[in-house]
Amino acid sequence: MANWLAERCRVLWNRPVAERTWRMGLDSSAVALRIRPGQFFMVRLDREDPLLGRPYALYQVVEWPSATLGKALEFVYLVVGRQTALLTELRPGDELDIWGPLGNGFDVLPDSQELWLVAGGIGQTPFLALLQEITGARAYGLSPDRARPRWPIGSVRMFYGARSARYLACLGDFKSTGVRLSLATDDGSVGYAGPVTEPVAAELARVDASEVLVVGCGPEPMLRRLADVCRERGARCFLSLETPMACGYGACFSCVVSVRTGDGHDYRRVCVDGPVFDAEWLVEGGSGKAGQ
Amino acid sequence: MSQADITLEVAIGTLKLQNPILLASGTCGYVHEMVGAVEVEQLGGVIPKTVTLHPRKGNPPPRTVETPCGLLNSIGLDNDGIDHFIEHHLPALRGLRTNVIVNVAGKSVAEFAELCRRLDGQTGVAAIELNLSCPNVSGGIDYAIDPACTREVVSACRGSTRLPLIAKLTPNVTDPRPIAVAAVEAGADAISLINTVLGLAVDWRRRKPRLGAGLGGLSGPAIKPIALRCVWQVARAVDCPVIGIGGIRTIDDVMEFLVAGARAVQIGTANFFDPTVGPRLVGQLRGALESIGARTVAEVVGTLRL
Repeated sequence: MANWLAERCRVLWNRPVAERTWRMGLDSSAVALRIRPGQFFMVRLDREDPLLGRPYALYQVVEWPSATLGKALEFVYLVVGRQTALLTELRPGDELDIWGPLGNGFDVLPDSQELWLVAGGIGQTPFLALLQEITGARAYGLSPDRARPRWPIGSVRMFYGARSARYLACLGDFKSTGVRLSLATDDGSVGYAGPVTEPVAAELARVDASEVLVVGCGPEPMLRRLADVCRERGARCFLSLETPMACGYGACFSCVVSVRTGDGHDYRRVCVDGPVFDAEWLVEGGSGKAGQ
Repeated sequence: MSQADITLEVAIGTLKLQNPILLASGTCGYVHEMVGAVEVEQLGGVIPKTVTLHPRKGNPPPRTVETPCGLLNSIGLDNDGIDHFIEHHLPALRGLRTNVIVNVAGKSVAEFAELCRRLDGQTGVAAIELNLSCPNVSGGIDYAIDPACTREVVSACRGSTRLPLIAKLTPNVTDPRPIAVAAVEAGADAISLINTVLGLAVDWRRRKPRLGAGLGGLSGPAIKPIALRCVWQVARAVDCPVIGIGGIRTIDDVMEFLVAGARAVQIGTANFFDPTVGPRLVGQLRGALESIGARTVAEVVGTLRL
């Protein structure tokens, strides 16, 4: 049986936080209570064009006394197309439809000595809630026992890359968790000058990589490079994917990626079998062509 | 008259539905994906994703692309085959407390007949819908573009099962009427239409189709006028129930299809962007019937005046 619900939500806040990057808070009664770090939900405006909902990762749930159940569901979005452009026009009190929580989330991560979170651009959004649970600052979902931190915050690192300093969003939120944060920008305006995967590769060479679990979220070329780096160095790697999705809950079979099977490859739905996958299970490129 | 005097029951041949709202094949997965969030027991029935004789991996992604007021898809009948369906999905579907209509597609007449034979002895199967019209199966044949092929397939299926047979037809033809007539003459108990409209989305900078498989099938509100036209044409041409499909997302859409000649409707793409739409439309149907003084669905069916 499915564990998600659909609800209409009032917008509580919606404001820019970085270049083309906004954060929106929703008065959610159903999704906010259930969602776990690494899960996502679908957001849709009540109109026929654009027609479909779009998936957004949980950023955080915050205490919000004026909300129906005293909780606000927050997501952070990059303006990339028509729907995200329309989202920026919403004001507090406006309504939209959401359904969730969806996907497996970070509960599927295996235990490890160290946990390294690697974010590319808007791929940073799933990691805040995970860090909050690790520090004990927040508990997510209906079963608080699942929220027991599996890593002391001292064994957690985060690498966050963006195209320039102007695109780095919500740094204060991440810093406040106490995580050791390393930044990278393509133009060198802050931190390492170049792809975020390169400082990860360099750091993995300095430690016993077999004790490190690397978790990546970001653009596909970055994730591919990250998986290669981890394989070369001997670190385990999990990736949180995003693919074109029509429904988000397993009905449409659109969002598939190619995974290795005993006799070659098969497709799996990112929305129900992911979005978090063991990188070793994925066929490179995800299209299945490499596996045929 | 009050809403309590209104009955929503409809009959599709020997199949009795508590109301005419069904969920279309390919738009509700195997239904367990939505149970808990969607009150499927409120529906007239559900039609799980197409089952084929052998497992199919489906088409390479991207499998869907959004177009104005529509969705272009090329999933490619990704499914694990009839054995897996009967073993793993059917037991869960039997527990749903609504009608389960199983949609099948074969690559040959013999495969269609075999699929029907396999389902014939299964409890919990209310009817079989024949997917004669999926546009996304490479190497396969779209049987429902030709009356003779349609007749041959439906006839073979009729000989393989006593379950009600619904022939699902394509709009990708000059005239759907001769094909519908052939299906009914060969033993179909009902006609459902339309399947998706064949289309193409282009990424002109890369000079490539936006879908991994190239062509795809268009669905959603964009195709509703085409679907209404096909339903109206076919309902006047055949002497059996017609089930309308294509862009339905509101109670007005449902009523339009009933008036055009549909005795039941299937909700398709709307399940993707409005997952609880089906039960909501069931709840709104009595009010819509009452507003025009109708006591039954049948009173409204095919009342379009030109």
